[in-house]
Amino acid sequence: MPPRSQTDALRGSLDLLVLKTLSLAPMHGWGISQRVQQISEGVLDVNQGSLYPALQRLEKDGLITSEWGTTDNNRRARYYRLTAGGRRALGKELESWRRFAAGLEAVLRTT
Amino acid sequence: MSWLASTRTRLRLLFARRAAESRMDEEFRFHLDMETERLVREHGLEPEEARRQALAAFGGVERYKEELRDGRGLAWLGGLSLDFKLGVRMAAKYPGLSLVSVLGMAVAIAIGALVFGWAAAMLDPTLPLEGGDRIVAVQTDRADVPGDFDQHVLHDFVVWRTELTTVRDLGAFQLGDRNLIVERGGKGEDRVTDVVAVAEMSAAGFRVGRVPPLLGRPLVDDDERAGGPPVLVIGEREWQRYFGGDPNIIGQTVRLGETVHTVVGVMREDFRFPRNDGFWVPLRLDASQYEIGAGPPIQIFGRLADGVTFEQAQAQVAAIGHRLAAEYPETHEYRRPTVVPFARTAEPTASGPEMTWLLYMIQLGASLLLVVIAANVAALVYARTAARTAEIAVRTALGASRARVITQLFVEALVLSAAAAAVGLSLAAFALGWMEQLLRQKSQDLPFWFHLGLSPGLIAYVAGLALVGGTVVGVVPALKATGRRAYGSLQQFAARGSGMKLGSTWTALIVAQVALTVAVLPASVHHASALLRTSMRGSEYPAGEFLRARVSLDREEAPPRADSAAAAAHQRRFDARFASRAEALLQRLGAEPGVAAAFVSDFPGGEPHRRFEIEGDPASRNAAADVGGEKTAVLSTPSSATVGFFELFDAPIVAGRGFTDADTAEGSTAVIVDTAFAARIPGGNILGRRIRSVESRRASAGDEAGPAPWLEIVGVVADPPSTTTDPDDVALPNVYRAAAPSGLRRDGAQATSILLRLRVRSGLTPAFTRHLRDMVVETDPSFQLHDVQTDAEVLSRGARELRTFALAVAFATLSVLLLSAAGIYAMLSFTVAQRRREIGIRVALGADSRRIVSSIFRRASAQLGAGVAVGLILALALDRATGGMLMGRLSAETAGLRGAVILMPIVAAIVMVVGLLAALGPARRGLAVQPTEALRDE
Repeated sequence: MPPRSQTDALRGSLDLLVLKTLSLAPMHGWGISQRVQQISEGVLDVNQGSLYPALQRLEKDGLITSEWGTTDNNRRARYYRLTAGGRRALGKELESWRRFAAGLEAVLRTT
Repeated sequence: MSWLASTRTRLRLLFARRAAESRMDEEFRFHLDMETERLVREHGLEPEEARRQALAAFGGVERYKEELRDGRGLAWLGGLSLDFKLGVRMAAKYPGLSLVSVLGMAVAIAIGALVFGWAAAMLDPTLPLEGGDRIVAVQTDRADVPGDFDQHVLHDFVVWRTELTTVRDLGAFQLGDRNLIVERGGKGEDRVTDVVAVAEMSAAGFRVGRVPPLLGRPLVDDDERAGGPPVLVIGEREWQRYFGGDPNIIGQTVRLGETVHTVVGVMREDFRFPRNDGFWVPLRLDASQYEIGAGPPIQIFGRLADGVTFEQAQAQVAAIGHRLAAEYPETHEYRRPTVVPFARTAEPTASGPEMTWLLYMIQLGASLLLVVIAANVAALVYARTAARTAEIAVRTALGASRARVITQLFVEALVLSAAAAAVGLSLAAFALGWMEQLLRQKSQDLPFWFHLGLSPGLIAYVAGLALVGGTVVGVVPALKATGRRAYGSLQQFAARGSGMKLGSTWTALIVAQVALTVAVLPASVHHASALLRTSMRGSEYPAGEFLRARVSLDREEAPPRADSAAAAAHQRRFDARFASRAEALLQRLGAEPGVAAAFVSDFPGGEPHRRFEIEGDPASRNAAADVGGEKTAVLSTPSSATVGFFELFDAPIVAGRGFTDADTAEGSTAVIVDTAFAARIPGGNILGRRIRSVESRRASAGDEAGPAPWLEIVGVVADPPSTTTDPDDVALPNVYRAAAPSGLRRDGAQATSILLRLRVRSGLTPAFTRHLRDMVVETDPSFQLHDVQTDAEVLSRGARELRTFALAVAFATLSVLLLSAAGIYAMLSFTVAQRRREIGIRVALGADSRRIVSSIFRRASAQLGAGVAVGLILALALDRATGGMLMGRLSAETAGLRGAVILMPIVAAIVMVVGLLAALGPARRGLAVQPTEALRDE
């Protein structure tokens, strides 16, 4: 496994969290940020804005798409949804993440 | 068209950007609003405080906007435009380097573009007529004489016209010159005479062109009927020039040679088919008057039928050809009719694969020139790039990828090469336009479709050259500068002054640069200055009194039979007619006060005699080139013998005697040689010696007539003045024979003209030239005077052309000199600058500054000296090689190289001075470094 810099790891985990969030239901940016904050307990605490480059990147890679929609209180918002490719990528990412985490866990436990 | 498309793309991109920006703004606004509301709702904050916290949590709206913009994929474009800005700034920061680079590459690009423009006109000519690429010619190749055509195809034409279904509007034409005689106003007053090209053409030619007439009508099929009224269609240009654009031109009569024609139409300027024509008369040929295979020479054209390919037309024409060859083996056995694009049938065009190949090779060479110059510029830029190692290292450390850094350096170079391309393209466009104008002046029958100038292909080629130049200049140094070794340079940068150690590579570059400069420049400088000197040379005789013109007679009907006896009889009849007209003209001219005239031919036996051997000197036969005369003139004296060629030029007989009437008789062997010829005959005693022409290989292979007759030298004449500005042509020896008008030979069998030389002691005036034209036409309406020009005009035009060429060579040489001087300067100053730290330390350790300076200069001198030595050896080798290969005629050029040898030390000295000056600055700066500073760096 090639060494990953800290930013890479963060970025990777953010992508994963976004994909995971969107796998439940289409969501707008602020909604995703709230959800990610809840489940990650603070990965996005530093900067909520960093979500948007991640969204753009995922959209460019064809993992998610977006369209305009209206929120419950009737405001215009951009909704993101997972594509079929995104769903596949999520599965793969989750798998490799679990392996990575398990490996890390094992190392941390032995040392 | 293309600008429309590109504008549309730009607009779309612009609006796409707008849309993306507004989407981003809206998303961010929504996010912040929601977050603010949440904070108010959940934490009970004041809206203002909530807003502040929401913004803080978001973490810099502008920063993420920027990141999103970067991610949109236009980032590289944004970066690129920044690179361009940086590139322009960089170019402005180093004006000397930029100027030199742009100038050098501009010259190379201009040369490449010139060659390309020329080659495109030769290789890919197109008819500027509707569907011009489907207009074809049917040529009849001769299988027995490769590269030759048979134009006596009247009978074949009749067959093709009835049988060919793949080629429509089949027609034929024949080109010739006629005296145009326009009588304006009353009889005899205000008469305009001129020799004009007339196309006898089938009416189909006007249908093929698909251009409607400006006035009246084009020729129609009915005009081709034998015995029909003589009609004429003229071009717009001719209408303006000879008839002042008279709106009542239709129905007026115009005399062409013997025949008076009625003008029935005026064609628009864009129709000058088939060559560059402005006078069209119907082609009236009756095939029944001629035997198979005989008839006048004609050329065939037509338009491919709709949906028919070249290959299909070719197949049908070839099939008919085979049938005719079987039917008439004695005349058609070797005839191979082929269909070719019409635009390829007239010079100048690249005919044959060898020519095409040659053009491509020249093109490649010209393109390589840019690579060479760009490599030179690259060396310059390399020095600058090397000095920027620190900058590159910092950028890399800040996260710039290697590709990003290379892109930046490439774009910087591209700014230079693009500027060079713009300059080069303008230069080339100007030069091409000038060349076409010159060609049109020189040759009236340059095809109307021949065009030298900017074309989309040429612009694409130049853009490609700019890319190549940018790659060589930018990418190669960038690759080196960002190579693996450069990764350590951040440390180097922190600790010391600069990175990049080059050592021997650098020395080799300097030596090569100096060597090339010393080897190539002197010859080029010498050449340019020799050309300039020649172009400045004044004429040695009263050129304003002399006039030259070609005289010819209208073509006669072709003989009805194809055999040689018929042709010979036909030729004899024509010769007799020509001689009588020439005689009459000379009589008339002789009667004019103060006028002397003679006919001169370079073709005494129908063949230009170039080489002679001397009787009793067998060595001269082998060395004939050294003895031979380049030009042999047959001069004609009227029977009274009062006027002669030598008297014309005031050239005195220096030994022996002049010509007498007896010498003009057929079979006379008396010749007079000029002093230049006499000087080449060994043994001194010239009078009474006999010489004979050594036939050229081609002539002796053609007919086994045996050796040429011996000719006896009866006199030596002082060299007549030369009217050429060609330095090689000054002292070429001449041999003269005398002939009566009946013994005149015209230039070869096909052409029908002969040179008239004339002197008016009182000086030439336009009135005399008009009078001369009238005299010629009054002698016989079918007697024509072409290319009338005074010697003064010939000389000044030649000098002007030579001067322009010399200036072009000088310009190119100068830019190369500038480029190499700058290259040497940059490289040397760079190497010395690299030693600055070392120098500082040595000074700190108490070294004598004089010793340091001498060590610097010793090294610089060694590099420069090695370069000069290699350059001298290279130049001498070059001289030896060319001197060994180019004998005889080219001796003038090898002499030029010898002259260049004198220039070599001068160039070498300049190079040395430039190099040492380059070392001086950094050396002084090195010495000025405070020892503490130098040591602190360590």
